[in-house]
Amino acid sequence: MHAKLKDLLITNILAIVLGIIASGLMLLFLGKNPVSAYAVLITSVVRDGYTFADIFVKATPLMFTALAFAFTYKANLYNIGAQGQFYIGAVIAAAGSLFFQNILPSGLALIITLLLTIVGGGLWGAFIGFVKARYNSNEFLVSMMSTYVALAIMNYLLRTFLMETKGEYPQTDALAASVWLPRIIPGTRLHIGFVLAVLACIGVWILLYKTPLGYRIRAVGYNSRAASMSGINAKKLYVLAFFISGALAGAAGFTEVNGVQHMLVQGFNSDIGAAGIGIAILANGSPIGIIFAATLFGALKVGGTIMGQMSGIPSSIIELMQGFVMVFVILAYFVRTRLENNREKRKLQKAAV
Amino acid sequence: MEAAFFELSGISKYFAKVIANKEVSFSIQRGEVLALLGENGAGKSTIMKILYGLYKADEGKIFKDGKEVKIHSPKEAMELGISMIQQHFSLVPAHTVTENIILGNVHGIIEQKFYQGEIKKLAERYNFDVDPNDFIRDLAVGVQQKVEILKALYQKANLLIMDEPTAVLTPQEAENLMHFVRDFTAQGNSVIFITHKLKEVMSVADRIIVMRAGKVCGDIKRDETDEIELSKLMIGKELNEIIQDDQQIKVDQEARLEINNVTVKGKTNVPSLNNISLTVHKGEILGIAGVSGNGQQELCEVVCGAILPTSGSILLDGEDITEREIRARIDLGIGYVPADRSRDGMIMDMSIAENMLLKSSYDGKWQKRGFIAKGRLNQYALQEIQEYSIKAPSPETIVHGLSGGNQQKVILAREVDNGDKLIVFDQPTRGLDLGAVNHIHQVILNERAKGKSILLVSTELSEIFALSDRIAVLYKGEIQGIFNRAELTTEKIGLLMAGFRVEEVSQDAC
Repeated sequence: MHAKLKDLLITNILAIVLGIIASGLMLLFLGKNPVSAYAVLITSVVRDGYTFADIFVKATPLMFTALAFAFTYKANLYNIGAQGQFYIGAVIAAAGSLFFQNILPSGLALIITLLLTIVGGGLWGAFIGFVKARYNSNEFLVSMMSTYVALAIMNYLLRTFLMETKGEYPQTDALAASVWLPRIIPGTRLHIGFVLAVLACIGVWILLYKTPLGYRIRAVGYNSRAASMSGINAKKLYVLAFFISGALAGAAGFTEVNGVQHMLVQGFNSDIGAAGIGIAILANGSPIGIIFAATLFGALKVGGTIMGQMSGIPSSIIELMQGFVMVFVILAYFVRTRLENNREKRKLQKAAV
Repeated sequence: MEAAFFELSGISKYFAKVIANKEVSFSIQRGEVLALLGENGAGKSTIMKILYGLYKADEGKIFKDGKEVKIHSPKEAMELGISMIQQHFSLVPAHTVTENIILGNVHGIIEQKFYQGEIKKLAERYNFDVDPNDFIRDLAVGVQQKVEILKALYQKANLLIMDEPTAVLTPQEAENLMHFVRDFTAQGNSVIFITHKLKEVMSVADRIIVMRAGKVCGDIKRDETDEIELSKLMIGKELNEIIQDDQQIKVDQEARLEINNVTVKGKTNVPSLNNISLTVHKGEILGIAGVSGNGQQELCEVVCGAILPTSGSILLDGEDITEREIRARIDLGIGYVPADRSRDGMIMDMSIAENMLLKSSYDGKWQKRGFIAKGRLNQYALQEIQEYSIKAPSPETIVHGLSGGNQQKVILAREVDNGDKLIVFDQPTRGLDLGAVNHIHQVILNERAKGKSILLVSTELSEIFALSDRIAVLYKGEIQGIFNRAELTTEKIGLLMAGFRVEEVSQDAC
């Protein structure tokens, strides 16, 4: 066990280092000095409390969308529609907040809005599970296409019912401060949504590994036939798993709208669904690992933006870096298996002599 | 003495976590039938796969006629005249016999007529009743095996390796295979038989290599040994005779499970079960004999609820359960040990304790305030590990790493507890070593003694005869007849399994 943990840490750190080196090489092609670029990257994220806290602000929605992917993944299902579920959540969060902000006290308005967001995102996700269970449709495709539908719904609502009173841009009015998520560190943007995200990670871990429901979801994921033969209704679980997955992605909409944007803008955060998939893979599907992986991605995002502003290096180099890190992390998984096998082999050879 | 045809010298093979072969050395002469005998997991298949080029040995050398050869792939093995017939055939069902045989050895435009003629000649030479134009999908397993053999012969193999060739055959088909083996070796060719059946070994082999735990532990001429010595070598201790209870416990005449005129039709509308009626009484073992693939799996699944019958009814203790779901039937006390445990019975990536929970995760007894009562569950699993002598360090061991016999014991432990009234066993001992087989047989008899009813499906006639109170023979989804154990002989049951009707059999057998 000790050797295994060592392998895990070493290979993952190596993977991240290799990813940074490989994207550094790309910087050379742009005629930039990678060493100074990285120096800017590192110093910029720790230059002040506000920027540092922003890492966790960026990590918050990523944790939710990564959980959304990881959760269905445990049931051997692929939900790549977290982006759409996030948009549905964001629409509901904005609409709910605007509706309740003047008629309910702040806390109650927030709680009701959160619940509505979760249910809305969940139902949007559950539809994917339902057509999978009922008509044996491919959840991969349905979840992907559902994102476009969600986007279209959001665009429509932003030009009609939810459009700002000025009627100029496709965005909502700003939310009243009473329905903003409270800040946890004054002077930064870090809001209580981050705590919700970490709690969600821990909650999903408990759900998966400590409860009968999570047990059944994993059983169906590993071997749906054996699970069905044992009286577990796999189809019901498909719907339920997608509901929970959608609810998690929807919650990201709530934390972004009420915690960061304080309004709903057309097409905002258009990449957190895809990033969530990467983070879930980076964390090997582990809900606890997602906390760290999302934080890493949050740091890259914040640093990348500043790097782009300061050194004239395109901030998209950060996406390149994320890509490289992901590829190397996946490779690291195979290296670990290999190391493990060789270790066992040597042990046998020694024992046999 | 001239150099051996093939010689293996000091071969070792390590897989992750297991030693498959350790310094295995033996040789085979021309014209010899060599039996490779050993329990499952003894390393028989591995050593043959090394010879056939499917695996690469970690240590050791292979010689042909005294010269060292390196075999890196099946293709190179075939060039040396080695051919292997795997336990699971590698034929293309949608192709004809001819197409399958010439597969991989033809280029350009295929002259079907020419090859058909060649194959027909080859088949006639060995008295194989095979039509080169038949499609594989239409052929019985026994015939498919002949096609595999023809494929090897067509490639001019001099050394034929057969992995458990009789596992899928009726006694008559097996007898034909033995004829072929003698015929083939009489012409100076050699055959290696991988098996764990002692009777076969004694009837066909010239020399016997016994393997245990990856090592050779015996290299004996057939004439110098007997079944008892071989079995001792094989399991490393005395073989317990299968416990056959001659004083039959008086069977309660009260019916437990009644299957009335059940028909199951698949997608193709061909019935896999055709108008079957069976009754299992309380405290009775009903054995279902038959060559595998004749509706056994469907019969088991229709009883445990995985498939619903197209027509007919199923009653448990007089209550109609035809439409009940799997979970309802589990709650009623029907246990099921499926034939394919890795596919239907357990979750390989989960621990022993988690697998124990598989059928009772809804049950409050394993829950504490909505969470899994892990302490209680582990304690229960530990108790079962001890009771069934499952070789595993702890309840948290992942079942993937257990041997087949120990995995089967995990399922057995669970199903014996689940099945209060009826336990369905589908091939409960297939592929297991003798120690595990005896243990499982003892468990089955004990459960019967407690008054449970047992439906035992097996292709091993010895198992059916040793345990069953009554025996039904299944052929092409129909019951050929139900008999008391004493009414049947091996020969008679063999004919029934091959599709002969009762009337025909009684004439032939008497």
